[in-house]
Amino acid sequence: MGGLDVVVSNVADDEVTQDAVLKHAEVVEQLLGRSRAVLPARFDRPLADEEELNTAVSAAARELERGLRRVRGCVELGLRVIAPSAEAVPKGGSGADYMHARLAEERRRRRLLDELDAPLARLSEATAPAGSSGGDAFVASYLVATRNVPAFRKAVDALEEAHPQLTIVCTGPWPPYSFGTGVE
Amino acid sequence: MSTSRTPVDKILAASGDLHRIAGELEHVQEAFPRRVNADPEKVERGLAQLVLTLVELLRQLMERQALRRMETGTLSDEQLDRLGETFMKLEQRMTELKAEFGLEDRDLNLNLGPLGDLL
Amino acid sequence: MTAADRSALAHQVTLLELVDRVLNKGVVLSGDITLSVADVDLVYVGLRVLLSSVATLEEQGEQTALEGAFR
Repeated sequence: MGGLDVVVSNVADDEVTQDAVLKHAEVVEQLLGRSRAVLPARFDRPLADEEELNTAVSAAARELERGLRRVRGCVELGLRVIAPSAEAVPKGGSGADYMHARLAEERRRRRLLDELDAPLARLSEATAPAGSSGGDAFVASYLVATRNVPAFRKAVDALEEAHPQLTIVCTGPWPPYSFGTGVE
Repeated sequence: MSTSRTPVDKILAASGDLHRIAGELEHVQEAFPRRVNADPEKVERGLAQLVLTLVELLRQLMERQALRRMETGTLSDEQLDRLGETFMKLEQRMTELKAEFGLEDRDLNLNLGPLGDLL
Repeated sequence: MTAADRSALAHQVTLLELVDRVLNKGVVLSGDITLSVADVDLVYVGLRVLLSSVATLEEQGEQTALEGAFR
């Protein structure tokens, strides 16, 4: 459609279940085995038939092609970091004491986030920070060219060694879910 | 929710206490569209969770804003002190409310997608 | 932790990551809740809409706009 290959399935009901999610994931994984560029694309609305799909895809063809170019030859790697809970700000001080302590805490947090992200972002084509999991966690997805994956993994190992108090999990390779495109 | 499918292991590297992440798995089911039903016992807790999540969000936003102004040096000592007192009181009140409704910090966590760094 | 425990944990973490990605919502409170009575959907609460407005406020007027909003 519109010069692109599109993979679809018919959805009888809109029941989003764990099984449906896993089936979907399996299909997308298999596609990644067959093509260097697989772009997860989200549609705003359900489409009644192939004709509607054709219209939607053709209208967005340029954007979709741009999206495909972006992810070609890349995989998604996920990073999840949990820090030990920050010490509660000591009570019993003045309001100003509280604010100073909070500011110091924020600065520490920002520094840590940068230390974690910078070496990985350097090896990536793009970064997608995920929704926050809370003040003591860092979650992000990185779009990494396949040839850079070994270096990325080395960089994660280095982070683990540098920060033994953190829980760090790196997962992948995933199809580029977090770097997909929306279609209207 | 039972499933006949298990995904292939995708872990590339892991260090530290994995149980801390596994804790988030309790919430896997919450990712699926859900309803807050008017079961008298549950609905109050569901609404409380919603309301307190918003209050917590606003509290953090305000605190974040105040910290920004601290950094740009546009707060007087008196303003700083008053802000700090207020935020301390707010935090205390939140602790009390959470306890009242049996809610943990993780129950009040919003996933905001691209707006994630608001919190 | 036994090897079996670790393997089970690894599977769970993988599942978490996978659901996170496919549903694009995250696995904590996603901010999309439907309030219903007797299975009749009555109110849809889209928290991301609310939060978008706040973010726009922040961008537009920095401190003053936000101060005004929360007075």
